[in-house]
Amino acid sequence: MHNALLIAELSLREAVRKRLVVVLLLLTAAFLGFYLYGVFRLEGTLDQRAREAGLDGRSVNGAANLSVMYAAMFGMYLVYFLGVLMAVLSTVGAVSGDVESGVMQSVIARPISRAQLVLGRWLGFTAVNVVYVALVGAALLGGIFLITGFVPPAPLPALALILLAITLVTALTVLGSTLFTTLANGIGVFVLYGAGFAGGILGSIGTFAASPTLTTLGKVANTLMPTNALWLGASYHLQPDVLRQMGEMTRGANPFFGGAPLASGMIVWAAVYALLAVLVAMWQFSRRDL
Amino acid sequence: MLEGVAAIETRELRKVYRSRAVVDGLTLTVGEGEVFGFLGPNGAGKSTTVKMLLGLVHPSGGEVRVLGGSPADPAVRARLGFLPEQFRFQTWMTGEEFLRFHGRLAGLSAAELRVRAPQVLGTVGLGGRGGEALSGYSKGMLQRVGLAGAILARPRLVFLDEPTSALDPIGRVEVREIIERLRGEGVTVFLNSHLLSEVEQVCDRVAFVKSGRVLRQGSMRELMGGVLPVDLRVDHLSPALLAALAQVGEVRHTDLNTPGRAGAELWLEREDSLPALADAVHAHGARLYALTPRRPDLETLFLELIEGSPEPAPVGEPVRGAARA
Repeated sequence: MHNALLIAELSLREAVRKRLVVVLLLLTAAFLGFYLYGVFRLEGTLDQRAREAGLDGRSVNGAANLSVMYAAMFGMYLVYFLGVLMAVLSTVGAVSGDVESGVMQSVIARPISRAQLVLGRWLGFTAVNVVYVALVGAALLGGIFLITGFVPPAPLPALALILLAITLVTALTVLGSTLFTTLANGIGVFVLYGAGFAGGILGSIGTFAASPTLTTLGKVANTLMPTNALWLGASYHLQPDVLRQMGEMTRGANPFFGGAPLASGMIVWAAVYALLAVLVAMWQFSRRDL
Repeated sequence: MLEGVAAIETRELRKVYRSRAVVDGLTLTVGEGEVFGFLGPNGAGKSTTVKMLLGLVHPSGGEVRVLGGSPADPAVRARLGFLPEQFRFQTWMTGEEFLRFHGRLAGLSAAELRVRAPQVLGTVGLGGRGGEALSGYSKGMLQRVGLAGAILARPRLVFLDEPTSALDPIGRVEVREIIERLRGEGVTVFLNSHLLSEVEQVCDRVAFVKSGRVLRQGSMRELMGGVLPVDLRVDHLSPALLAALAQVGEVRHTDLNTPGRAGAELWLEREDSLPALADAVHAHGARLYALTPRRPDLETLFLELIEGSPEPAPVGEPVRGAARA
């Protein structure tokens, strides 16, 4: 474990030193600033309309505040999406990059097992990716609260599900990195992510149209890649009652928002899946020639 | 089982990639404390062999023992040093950070590393440059810092794969001195090099490999005892003279291109045969311009062995048998 932590620390320092962290923070600050400025202008418009209508104020959790709620929801969807993107891009060459450049040879000749190396890479990149997404998510919700006073009903469980999705994507990317070249891995993980998203859409349409086949297809895709299901579960926690009721009325026609809490089986599966991916990566890398 | 005290022992070591045997029954012994030269033409399987000795590549068959254990065992690898042929390292690190990272992987304590890292940097001629990022290092400096990493954790066995390929003549001499110092400390050095003169100067024993097999291995003296190359220059090389020379030694090469001069290279078995060459020249009425015995060198031996041995027949056995032979 000592060696795995050493490699994890190396991965963290690498992320800092290669300016990955600085670039990310700057771009993220730009994204947050841009988005929150939009929310700020929205809030101003809503307040002004309320005054013009002779109202005393607006209820934070009422239908009059729907646009703020949507802003929070889609903002968090962007955090989730950017988080996945970042997790894949930062981790895509975690193992394959060092194999391709030849750096791996001198490292593996040291008394470290390859399983430890893979585990350390996953731990390091998971730490970077999870902390990043947690910070951005907290910053977005915090910013919206400061501007509008709106807080989603259960922000912590929602964030936890998003972070689980990030952990899973990081694990699958590390696995791909022990199997394929860096480029092939990047393409592969995004295709898998796309499959999860497609599954969500199919499931949503299946529910809307009451088509059992589509619902089954959606379930298959969700099992294969549970990230989208995790997002839908997170989105359920972010919706106040008024939004949930709207979802029920439209029979889940919005594929971005979940209409029900996530089944605990799916949460367990996502965690087990991530663990399995790392174990297979450790095993696979140990039996390969360098 | 392999027996005896040796730094490296392999028996019938094989590596098959897609039914092609890159290493094909390689049997090798390197004694403790030796500087061992591993020679062969490109594609002979030298690098693959080194990778199997380090546990980077899994053998398809045969036995490997390194420092009495398996290279798959981290405890064995803790006592190895390795400078890869392609010395590619994390370029975002500084030289010091690179050594500290490798030192910690090798199990050195932080206190030890504070002393040891500047020490080995000095040894490879990079004293005072440890604070610079590797991305700013020249090729030669990278190879030097790689060498520093190889000797950092006081290994018992060091693999150097083409350790001077990026170095200038001064750097080459310095590397030779480092190897000699390692020998003085009783460290075994496994040197993979194309520079035959370099191998000749530092190695106690060498092995020649071709097509994944050891053609010959032994001490320099054993190997060199074989032939004495002689350069002969006369005014005219008649067929009769050539035949007479061929009775004294083996005529390897003749040069009849220069008008009024003719040259021949002969390999003699014994130094005693030298005067017989002069006698033959005089007996055939030719005029002698030069009769130069050369110190036997590795190049001669290399050419004799590598050019002289026929290509082994391609692996004829079915793929299935070869994969896990």
